[in-house]
Amino acid sequence: MLQTSTEENPYVSRRRYNRERLAREEAEQLLDGKSRELWDVNQKLIQQADGLEKVVQERTADLEKAREIAEAASHAKSVFLASMSHEIRTPLNGVLGMAEALTDTQLSDEQTSMAATIVDSGQLLLAVLNDILDLSKIEAGQLEIETVPFDLNALFVATQQLYSFKAIEKDIAFHVNVNDTAKCWIKSDPVRLRQVVGNLISNAIKFTSKGSVTVDVRLHTKNGQDADIIVEVRDTGLGIPANKISALCQPFVQVDASIARKHGGTGLGLSISKQICALMDGDIHIESTEGVGSCFTATMKVTVEDEAQNEVKIDIGDAIAIISKKKWRVLLAEDNRTNQLVFKKFLKQFDLDITVAANGQEAIDATQDIEFDVIFMDINMPIVDGVTATENIRKRDHAMGRKSIPILALTANTMVHQVAGYIEAGMDNHLAKPVKKNMLFQVMADALTSGN
Amino acid sequence: MKGVVFVELLNMAESIAGEDAVDAILDECPLETNGAFTSVGNYPCSELMILVQAFSEKLNAPVSELQNKFGRWMFMRFAEGYPAFFVGKNDAFTMLESIENEVHVEVRKLYPEVELPTFATERIDEKTLRMVYCSERPLIDFCQGMIEACVEHFKEPADIDKIDHSSSGEFKADFKISMAA
Repeated sequence: MLQTSTEENPYVSRRRYNRERLAREEAEQLLDGKSRELWDVNQKLIQQADGLEKVVQERTADLEKAREIAEAASHAKSVFLASMSHEIRTPLNGVLGMAEALTDTQLSDEQTSMAATIVDSGQLLLAVLNDILDLSKIEAGQLEIETVPFDLNALFVATQQLYSFKAIEKDIAFHVNVNDTAKCWIKSDPVRLRQVVGNLISNAIKFTSKGSVTVDVRLHTKNGQDADIIVEVRDTGLGIPANKISALCQPFVQVDASIARKHGGTGLGLSISKQICALMDGDIHIESTEGVGSCFTATMKVTVEDEAQNEVKIDIGDAIAIISKKKWRVLLAEDNRTNQLVFKKFLKQFDLDITVAANGQEAIDATQDIEFDVIFMDINMPIVDGVTATENIRKRDHAMGRKSIPILALTANTMVHQVAGYIEAGMDNHLAKPVKKNMLFQVMADALTSGN
Repeated sequence: MKGVVFVELLNMAESIAGEDAVDAILDECPLETNGAFTSVGNYPCSELMILVQAFSEKLNAPVSELQNKFGRWMFMRFAEGYPAFFVGKNDAFTMLESIENEVHVEVRKLYPEVELPTFATERIDEKTLRMVYCSERPLIDFCQGMIEACVEHFKEPADIDKIDHSSSGEFKADFKISMAA
C-alpha cells in the first residue's frame, strides 16, 4: 500500500523549480501562439465579412436597378393605358352623344332599336374604359378619395332602384336592407361607395340564376364620429371553389376562362373594388360554398355626420322649365367638332342663343362685347386653355365692373385636385365628360339661377 | 505594462546579483503581485519603477545606468527570442526604423490593449538617423540602452546624442545616431 506523507516538505528542489519555470515559459509561448492564431482567424473573418457586405451591396444595387426598371415599365404601361383610354373615350363620347340625339328624332321601331343598341353597347364600352382608367389610376397611386357629406340611406334606395330591374329580368328576388344604424348622413366618397356596392351587386345578380340577392347595410360606430360601414351582399348563385377565392381579387382574374365567355366582364371590377376599400381603410371579405352561394362583405371607414344636410339639386323637370324660360345666351368654348355637335344636339329642344368658340382665345374675345348668361369651358384647348381663359375673363370682367358670368368646366379630368384647381381659377362648377343630357340640364339650370 | 518587461528585469537582476538578493528585494517591495509576474500578463508601470529604484539602491548603481543596462539586456533577449524580425535587415538604421511599423504592429496583434511608445525616425543623411522617442513612461535611458545595443549588434560604431524634451506627463527624447565615418 502506498503511504502518503502527512507532513509537507517546505522546500522545493532546484530540479523541480527549473521544471516549473520551463513549464511557465512554455505556457506563455503557447498563449502567444494561440493569440496570434486568433488574430489571424479574426482577420480572415473580418475579410470574409467585408466580402459578404460587398456582395450584399452589389446584389441590393442589382435588385434596386431591376425594381426601378420594372416600376418604370409598369408606370409606362399605366400611362399608356390611361392615355389610350382617354383617346378612345373622346370619339366614344361622340358616338354616344349622337346615338342619344338620334333617339330623340323621328325613327321607325327598327331604327329606335338599333339606336338603343348603339347606346347600350357604347355605355358598356365606356364602363370597361372607366374600369381600366380606375385601375391605372390605382396602380399609379393617383386614385383620390373624396370626403363629402351624403345621405347613406338615399344612396342605397337609389342603388336598389337601379339594380331591381336587372333582378326582375333574371327572375330572382332582390332585397336591400338598410339597418337603422346606417340610416344617417355620413362623410365619405359616395361615387366610390356606389361603385363598390354596384360591382358586388351586379356580380351577384350576374352569377345567380335562381333564388335571391340580399344586401345588408349597417354602420358600426366606434368612438364619436368614426365608424365602419359594412355592406354584405349575399347570393344563392354558382359559388366559388375554395382554391379560387384568394386569386379572385387580382386584376384580370376570373374563376376560370369560361366565365368570361359565358358572363362577360373584364375581371377588373372586384380588384378595383378591393383597392378602393383599401384606400378607405377597409377590405372585401369573401365567403363562398360552391353550388350554394357566396357572401361578399365590403367594409370602409367613414365619418358620421351629426346633422342631415340639405342637398340642393334641381329636379330635371324644374331644370327644363328654367332653361325653357327665355332665350339664354350660351357660350360653348370647345375645340372638338364632334363635342360641339353633341352639345348643340342636347340643347336642340330649347330656343337658345348658342355661340361656339374653338379655343380659349376665341372665348375671351367673344365675351368682350357680349354678356353671356352661362359659359361652358373645355379645359384642354389649343392656343389658350380653359383655365387661363377663365382667369382672363374673370380679371377683365372684374376690372370693367361687370357681373360675374357662371363658367362651367367641361372635362374628362375629374380628379378631386383637378376640380379644385378649376374652382380656384374662377369656375363655378364642372361637368364630367362624356356629358349626360340630364346632368347637363341640371347643372346648367343651377348655374342660370345661381346669380338670382 | 507588459509582463515580459518585469520578467526580464528580474532575470537581469538575478544574473547580476543572484537569486537570493532578488528574492530579498521582492519581499521588501510593496508589490500587488507579490513579485509573481508572467510575460503574458499586464502590470502597473509604477511597480516597474519601484523595482528599478530598489535594484538601483541594492546594486549601488544610479537609476539611469540601470535603465540603460536593462535596455541593452532587453535588446539582446529580443534578438535571441525573435530572430524573424532580423531577417533581411543588414544595418542598425533599418532595424531601428522597423520598430514602429513592424515590431509594434506584431505586438498589437497579440495584445490589442497594449500602450506602446512611439519611435518616429528620419534619415538626416546617409550616416545619420534621427529617432524621437515619446511615451507616458519615464524610460528614456532604457530606450537609449536599446539603441546602443542595436548599434553594437550590427557592429557599426556610432555616436548617440540625446536631447531630452520631456514635459509634465510626457517623456520625449530626440536621439541623433551618427555612424562613425
